[in-house]
Amino acid sequence: MSAINNKNCKYISQKEIKITFDGKSYSALDGDTVASALLRNNIRLIGRSFKYHRPRGIYTCGIEEPNALVQILNEHNEPNTRATIKRTYDGINISSQNRWPSLAFDIGSINNILSPIFSAGFYYKTFMGPKGFWKKIYEPLIRRTAGLGKPPKNFRSKSIHQNHNVDILIVGGGLSGLIAARKLIDTNNEVLIIEQDCFLGGILKNSNKVKSIDGKNVFEWVNETEKLILGSKNIKILKNTLVTTYNFTNHLIALEDKFAGKKIDTNKSELTLHKIRTTHTILANGHIERFISFRNNDLPGVMLASSFEKYIERYGVAPDEKPVIFSNNSSTISLVKSLINLGCKPSAYIDSRNKNDIEDETKDYLLKNNIPFYPESEVEGCEGNKKVEKVYIRGSNKEISSINTSMLCPSGGFNPDIHLFTQSKGLVKWDDKIISFKPDTAFQNTITLGSVSGNYEFKNLCNEINKKLSFLKVNDLNLDIETNIRDDFSISELWETKTNKMSKWSKSFIDLHNDVTTKDLKQAINEGYDRIEHLKRYTTNSMGTDQGKISSINSLGIVSKILNKKIEEVGTTTYRPPYAPLSFGAIAGRSTYEYYDPERKTPIHNWHIKNNAVFEDVGQWKRPWYFKKDESESMHQAVQRESKQTRQTAGIIDGSTLGKIEIKGKDALEFMNLMYTNAFTKMKPMTSRYALMLGEDGMIMDDGIVCKINDKHFIATTTSSGAPKVLSHMEEFLQTEWPHLQVFLNSITEQFTTFNISGPKAREIISKVFTDIDFNNEKFPFMTFKTFDYKNTQARIMRASFTGELGYEIYISPKHALELWEQLFNYGKEFNLVPYGTETMHLLRAEKGYVVIGQETDGTVTPLDLNFNWMIGKKKKDFIGKRSLTRSDTAREDRKQLVGVVPIDKSLFIEEGQHIVECENLPNKIKTPIEYLGHISSSYHSPNLNHCISMAMIKNGNKLKGKKLFVSTSKGTKNIPVEVVSPVFIDPENKRLVS
Amino acid sequence: MTKILSSDSVNVIQKNFLQVLLRGDGRDQFNQIIAKETSINPPSKNLEISSDDKYIFAKNSFDQWSLLYLVEQDYKKILKIVENLNMNDEILASDYSYGQVYFEISGNNKNEFLNKLTNFDLRPKKFPVSTMAQTLIARIDCSIYNLKDKYIVTCNKSYEEYFKNRLVDINNLS
Repeated sequence: MSAINNKNCKYISQKEIKITFDGKSYSALDGDTVASALLRNNIRLIGRSFKYHRPRGIYTCGIEEPNALVQILNEHNEPNTRATIKRTYDGINISSQNRWPSLAFDIGSINNILSPIFSAGFYYKTFMGPKGFWKKIYEPLIRRTAGLGKPPKNFRSKSIHQNHNVDILIVGGGLSGLIAARKLIDTNNEVLIIEQDCFLGGILKNSNKVKSIDGKNVFEWVNETEKLILGSKNIKILKNTLVTTYNFTNHLIALEDKFAGKKIDTNKSELTLHKIRTTHTILANGHIERFISFRNNDLPGVMLASSFEKYIERYGVAPDEKPVIFSNNSSTISLVKSLINLGCKPSAYIDSRNKNDIEDETKDYLLKNNIPFYPESEVEGCEGNKKVEKVYIRGSNKEISSINTSMLCPSGGFNPDIHLFTQSKGLVKWDDKIISFKPDTAFQNTITLGSVSGNYEFKNLCNEINKKLSFLKVNDLNLDIETNIRDDFSISELWETKTNKMSKWSKSFIDLHNDVTTKDLKQAINEGYDRIEHLKRYTTNSMGTDQGKISSINSLGIVSKILNKKIEEVGTTTYRPPYAPLSFGAIAGRSTYEYYDPERKTPIHNWHIKNNAVFEDVGQWKRPWYFKKDESESMHQAVQRESKQTRQTAGIIDGSTLGKIEIKGKDALEFMNLMYTNAFTKMKPMTSRYALMLGEDGMIMDDGIVCKINDKHFIATTTSSGAPKVLSHMEEFLQTEWPHLQVFLNSITEQFTTFNISGPKAREIISKVFTDIDFNNEKFPFMTFKTFDYKNTQARIMRASFTGELGYEIYISPKHALELWEQLFNYGKEFNLVPYGTETMHLLRAEKGYVVIGQETDGTVTPLDLNFNWMIGKKKKDFIGKRSLTRSDTAREDRKQLVGVVPIDKSLFIEEGQHIVECENLPNKIKTPIEYLGHISSSYHSPNLNHCISMAMIKNGNKLKGKKLFVSTSKGTKNIPVEVVSPVFIDPENKRLVS
Repeated sequence: MTKILSSDSVNVIQKNFLQVLLRGDGRDQFNQIIAKETSINPPSKNLEISSDDKYIFAKNSFDQWSLLYLVEQDYKKILKIVENLNMNDEILASDYSYGQVYFEISGNNKNEFLNKLTNFDLRPKKFPVSTMAQTLIARIDCSIYNLKDKYIVTCNKSYEEYFKNRLVDINNLS
């Protein structure tokens, strides 16, 4: 039988569009989903199943679809798209997935022939050996044959995030959601309604169940309501948006398809991830129809009854003229009426309920329309080649009869869609009347309305809503809802029908998505997996991307029968977000590629770019790593050149990224003495000092230079990445431990651009720039600083060095930074002043034996380990970490200590991170532990010494100076012989530094 | 002043303001000193701002204030104020003028636009006119000042390029 159009459908345009499915062009109507378009073209075979590659069709008409997953070729090859919700547009190119070479002839369907051996737990039991087979054979094979679509390639996400803060969020723009919204129009509550479809109305547009509301037909009523809402001052509607996640504290996530029914504009965002924070959440997200397990219940042509009705009413297409209807409840008569209205008639109506329980109206209607009626009967199974051809009915007399048909519409009842409610940690309870779980106790400010709360009676709906929303103090709303069906829902329990025809290839599925059969459930229980969470994982039941929306309660029903327990005793598995799949691209939003992490740039960043800087990331900062002289120069060559030039004449580094903190107050001196290990009391004003900050555990946390303006005013520098940590550390201690101290702190990192010029010619260059300052050694000695006026701004120059050379650190307003930097180069030209990056800085400081926090230290290093005893104010009463330095472990003498290491063969290079051992060679296979003495923390080739120099943390290192040890390599078992030396390789007498 | 973006519903302009960041205890003496040096009384309520066409004075937290000059000033004058304020032990004043960047965001859709970059609740009942907040916008620390028909957003200068790119990007993609 073929599909027919419902021309009375108001939700679909009659404009024709062209779509392509598996390379063939078809006509569709504007507004069709992929599924409705294919059904309109009588295409029922849409894909192949996950495991057995069985032919599959369209089972539902919504997000719950387990079968009809397709790949959208012209949308970055987007896989696993649900055909039942993906809207088409002119030119959309769709492909079926998980089949080869074609959908009709799929080699993978051999799995179906082999299916008798692929029972529950097959993977766990089968692929145990031989060793190595899993990685090389089993896994690639399984991945190739089982699975979903192919992931997109070269795809750059264009999704954006949108935050909302509202008083009330209404999830679902169906009847209940709209009634709630009408009550809230023009109140003081800011309301957001989210609807997954492009039309409001829910069941009003999806079915024939409601005839009129307040005397108006439902289409008119929905339009009127929408107009009222849009005209209100306080309610917004988001359509084409699906709520996927309900987090703690009423934080919900929803995904909007911005191009639903439209071709993607690659310059715009395709998806918007809405992050909603709300005071109250109204869940009015309805219900989901259940299926029934019977033999071959997966054949293309089997479609849930309410979905069939939705295709007629919402999409204007009846997939078949004469389907067989199979139900266990009172709602399905609505589909019969929809078909009759269309001039069609079901081939049969099979109702498993007791004849006396079936409504008289239903029986009369079937009789009146001469529809074959099978009360107290059930579908035993169906058969056909890639489609339903024949349905077998077990009548009330238990006899099997058959009907030829091409579609079968089962309805196993309805589940309140409690997914979001349970995500919110709400508790559910079993309701015998509707034979399903429904919300019981909310954990957050959550209200459930309508069928999601288990209320299937339209006439009772306004009462329920008025009652549940009474706390909002809004007016009651009473609507006269007239229905086409009896309002009192009736259902009999039916999870699975008995199979008569035994065949190894006939299957009664419980999870269509993951190809789990009812037999698998029984086998799992027999094998001892009788807890629902274990059983779920063993069988993979309801673990597919549909999360068993149409079948999970059925599996509980079957399991409860086997275990002879009540369903509520079996319990449910955990519902986890997301409600429906959403792509990683949508979650990431714009936090990808160029916006993966915020970037910080110094005021002279563009100068660095112009001068061929190669950057490295230091925290969020972009710092020049090295400057390429020309394209052919390697990093090693550049670093060697920069460091040699600096020691010969002068070099300059952009140190703007260093953290800077201003400390002021009458107790500033006491505060600084407590924060740092150093003693600042006797320090003269306008001098500076290298200072160490420890954690409470006595371990080095950060370092920097502290400038003392006077006893009440200090400026401290920190490491680039440690600045926020140090400031918050200081603030925390000020506010919690020493609130009696009058000290105030400001971060001034960004207020001063910092350059450090060093080298034997540094004084000559800087003197030419700042002609008013006397840079003479006596007037401007090492570790002093001066403040002066520079073009009406305040600048500071400090005599300090991180290279071991004569050096000056300049602090200047960002306003004049570039100008000053260029001026320094102008004057430095005659001295071959060279800009250098962080790599050269590391090399130069290593030559001098200066440590870097995070390189020589790793959170387990004390000042004593670095031989920084001189930096500890021993007479100080207290400082952070002081007590910890006297603990037995931190005070012991054989801790790892900082030393220098040089290779005995000067042509060899030592790698950072390598281990230091006493043995010359490592065995091929290490059978007994080799004593580890320490590790190389820094290692460079020194152009000034012309050999490798390394710094290392070695156990009892101070006593090992002069000793021969060995350093492992990444290349083999032969270790490099080295000598332990002092970590200061250049100018140990500080002649250059203080020159 | 540089126009960053302009559409029917959102306008973003980068401005050149001068700023002083103040720390202190907020007691009478503090208030008197500030008023004497700046001729403006500091606001006393947390997150409150006092402003006119020429300045914004905001209380950022229990012991922090920011003073923004919205019209062109002699920079020397600002530095002098900082210097004078720092003569007092009870106050730490830091010149923040050129280490920060300033954006004026206006238009009917400014809230929706900004809420693409921040989850901060910009609704008038949660973020009233003449208040300020320190929050994350585009994942960086920003201060936002509500001046009724527009917001002034400030962030560290080092983020200037990133922040401007994010503003333009989100406007283009929407």
